[in-house]
Amino acid sequence: MNQILVIAWREVTRLRKRFGGGASPLAVLVLLAVLSGSAYFLRDTVSLGSGLYRVGVSGDVPPIQDSRFAVMKVSAEEGKSLLDEKVIDVFINGADVISRADDKSQYAVRALKQYMEKEELVRVGNSFAEGDAFPLRVGINYLSAEQATGPNDAAKPEEIIIPSLTPPPAPFAQVLITLIYIMPITFISIFFTSSFMDEKINRRLTILLSAPITPFQIIMGKMLPYAIFALFSTTVIAVITKANVPLALAIFVPTTLFIFAIYLMVPLFYRTFKDTTFIAMLVTTLTTAYLIFPAMFTNVNDLSYISPLTLAVKMYRGEPFGWREYLFPSLPMAAIFGFAMFAGTRMLNEEFLMGYKPLTRKVSDAIYLMLAHSKPTISVPLWSLLVVPIVYLTQIILLAFATNLPVRLILGFTLLGSAMFEEVVKTVGIVVLAEHGVVKSARSIIGLSFLSGLGFLIGEKLLLLLSISMVSEARVAGALFGAGLLLFIPLISHFIFTAIITLLRIKLRFPYIIALGIGTIVHFFYNVYVLRGGF
Amino acid sequence: MIPFLAVVKKELASVIRDRTIVISILIQLFIASFSSALLLGMLSLYDADTILQFGGAGIKIGVVSSDNVLGSLMSKRGLQMVQYATLTDANDAYYRGEVLAIVDTPQDANGLTEIKLYLPESDTVSSLVRMVIQEPLKQYENVLREEKGIDVRYTDLKGKPSTSFEFVYSVLIPMLMFFPAFVAGSMSVDSITEEVENNTLQTLLSAPLTLNGMIGAKIVSSVIISILQCIAWLTLLQLNGIAIQNTGWILLLALIIAGITSTSAALGAVLLKDRERSQFIYSLMLLAAAAISTLLNLSPITAMSRLAIGDAYTSGWNVVIFAAFLVGLYLVLSKTSRRLLI
Repeated sequence: MNQILVIAWREVTRLRKRFGGGASPLAVLVLLAVLSGSAYFLRDTVSLGSGLYRVGVSGDVPPIQDSRFAVMKVSAEEGKSLLDEKVIDVFINGADVISRADDKSQYAVRALKQYMEKEELVRVGNSFAEGDAFPLRVGINYLSAEQATGPNDAAKPEEIIIPSLTPPPAPFAQVLITLIYIMPITFISIFFTSSFMDEKINRRLTILLSAPITPFQIIMGKMLPYAIFALFSTTVIAVITKANVPLALAIFVPTTLFIFAIYLMVPLFYRTFKDTTFIAMLVTTLTTAYLIFPAMFTNVNDLSYISPLTLAVKMYRGEPFGWREYLFPSLPMAAIFGFAMFAGTRMLNEEFLMGYKPLTRKVSDAIYLMLAHSKPTISVPLWSLLVVPIVYLTQIILLAFATNLPVRLILGFTLLGSAMFEEVVKTVGIVVLAEHGVVKSARSIIGLSFLSGLGFLIGEKLLLLLSISMVSEARVAGALFGAGLLLFIPLISHFIFTAIITLLRIKLRFPYIIALGIGTIVHFFYNVYVLRGGF
Repeated sequence: MIPFLAVVKKELASVIRDRTIVISILIQLFIASFSSALLLGMLSLYDADTILQFGGAGIKIGVVSSDNVLGSLMSKRGLQMVQYATLTDANDAYYRGEVLAIVDTPQDANGLTEIKLYLPESDTVSSLVRMVIQEPLKQYENVLREEKGIDVRYTDLKGKPSTSFEFVYSVLIPMLMFFPAFVAGSMSVDSITEEVENNTLQTLLSAPLTLNGMIGAKIVSSVIISILQCIAWLTLLQLNGIAIQNTGWILLLALIIAGITSTSAALGAVLLKDRERSQFIYSLMLLAAAAISTLLNLSPITAMSRLAIGDAYTSGWNVVIFAAFLVGLYLVLSKTSRRLLI
């Protein structure tokens, strides 16, 4: 523990030195102030687009203060001729709205309608008594799933709304708030990443590693200041946005760990500075998309629970959620953190960090370093078991990707993609070990294939136990994780696919891509067969 | 000139050799397709028009009513209405799966009109129903207001759903045109600070090349990479049937913005000399610049979407403003570049 604190302190000193001289902290503060100031002014104009439509107004028209419209005052005749010349898209003459028949003009009318509706409500609300201005009340009752004795036997208490003042549920506003939590953590990751890059450039890592400290302590020490910052910023944001602080922390701690875990990979894999930029970009995009995208579907689809931001959205809406909903996104994230920590400690050595190699080579070296830690009979199944959460997250991203495709192709694409990713994960360990000469005989390849399939199956079923009730609505998820209760057939099939690929690659010297392709196709047809109710 | 071209060539070659640029291109494709998926998702899940267009006939709503104003508003909206005499009948029909939701008779309560809406417990279906029923409810509210002598203006506007249009021209096109420019800035920080931190700068300068020439070459190579991506995206967008006007000006604007980001990034790198701080300041600068230019009403994003739409008041002059800014910025850089050697 003491060593971790020493390294953490060294990290703080490093940052202080960096920012003590040239770039005065004042400049950063000024920039941040400008940023938050402009964010404050722009908060109402987050609607899509600015200055997209040109509108001519004449006579008594309420002021149009929506960034989408560029407004100009014209006379009545001028307005009509400008509209005909397609210079303006809509002409508002008093209470009349004149448009053309073409698409752009019609889009402008719809956008104008949305805006005017709001403005008129404000006007009506201000100039008339409330009962007259808002004469309609709608009581919303929820009917329970089973028919009960009377219609008033509601599942939830009645909710009374005024239609024009109550937009239908859409979580975007809250999703944007939850994004604010993520921003500082991604920003601070630049420094976390740089910390390792510094050691590498100055060749101090060797000295550090020869000291009586473990790589684990080095990583933890370097992470500690940033983790404290992340906790602090989460607390501050929660306080400012009047959220429940302990709950916000509970939601965002696994998320923070997840983001750090992913960013830890950046300095370990980079070769040139540009690599760092691109890998960091990849990491930011994927994590943001993974966190934000599902949260947009809060209350629309249960799969949205894969993102912890969904929990945060619920928190802001004051809706309750249970342990199961909490663990569903949090456990995989915590597991990925643990996995990344282990990978980091194995890769933190001079030889791995310094060489310039193709990225694929670097990744396979990394896997070798992780597996060579113990005997193949232990490390291979353990690898397959531990990467299951990553497989699972990737498959869900694949599913989200697939929604881009025509409906008929969605299922096929997802099944093929997931089959391929599963096969990569199960075979890569054995193939890498064989390349380093650790595994040679056909017998041991077959044995390891079996163990790898077994490890994967155990991981898969453990995860299934946790998530079965959550994703029960999605039949596809059931097929992906093999919801079938029979364990024997999935085990054998996992084993066979893995064995096909590893034997083709190692014994018959097929290129890995082709071996993988063959195994994937067999796996794909098996999945299709299962989905059709084969077993 | 030849050493200058040699540096440009070396930069481009190293980008190709690293292969990680592929990541950046994939990310753009990912963001573009993801955001259209998002849009599609939003359209189908949050946009009542789209829901009605594709599944309107499938949404059956039970009405218990003698007053048919709301009912006719709902059928005008494209919803399928089923009339029931009493709430109990409607309730039975709901549990037989004949209707998705029930709207009860409007009742008078102290001068207010009250309607009871019965929705299924499932979040998915009930939010769907609430979305499609929103518009008729609002229209009904306006009818009630009129009865009380309150005139609400602009209620008869229709138009076409504009979300998709707004998204393509104000988000998708500017994003695809400017994202390469942001990357170009990061790349010029990387390639300048890498020479400093790996102590290769002096060696490079022993070639017949000035410091400004070296920095200029690095900026030019980043800009070349970014403009190649822009050309590819524009072609892809047009292949997808998105009409884009003023392509020449658009590419020029994208080029100039890439020049501005790379030059300002290089300026940061010259002053700070290490990657960590330069990248940090560069990302802050990007955010601040985006915010400030929007506040000053001089946003390149607006200019870009207006050019793409073919706005009557937007022309090459809007591009020239940014070009002038780029020239100014480059002059500042060439005056300060010596600090890299100190």
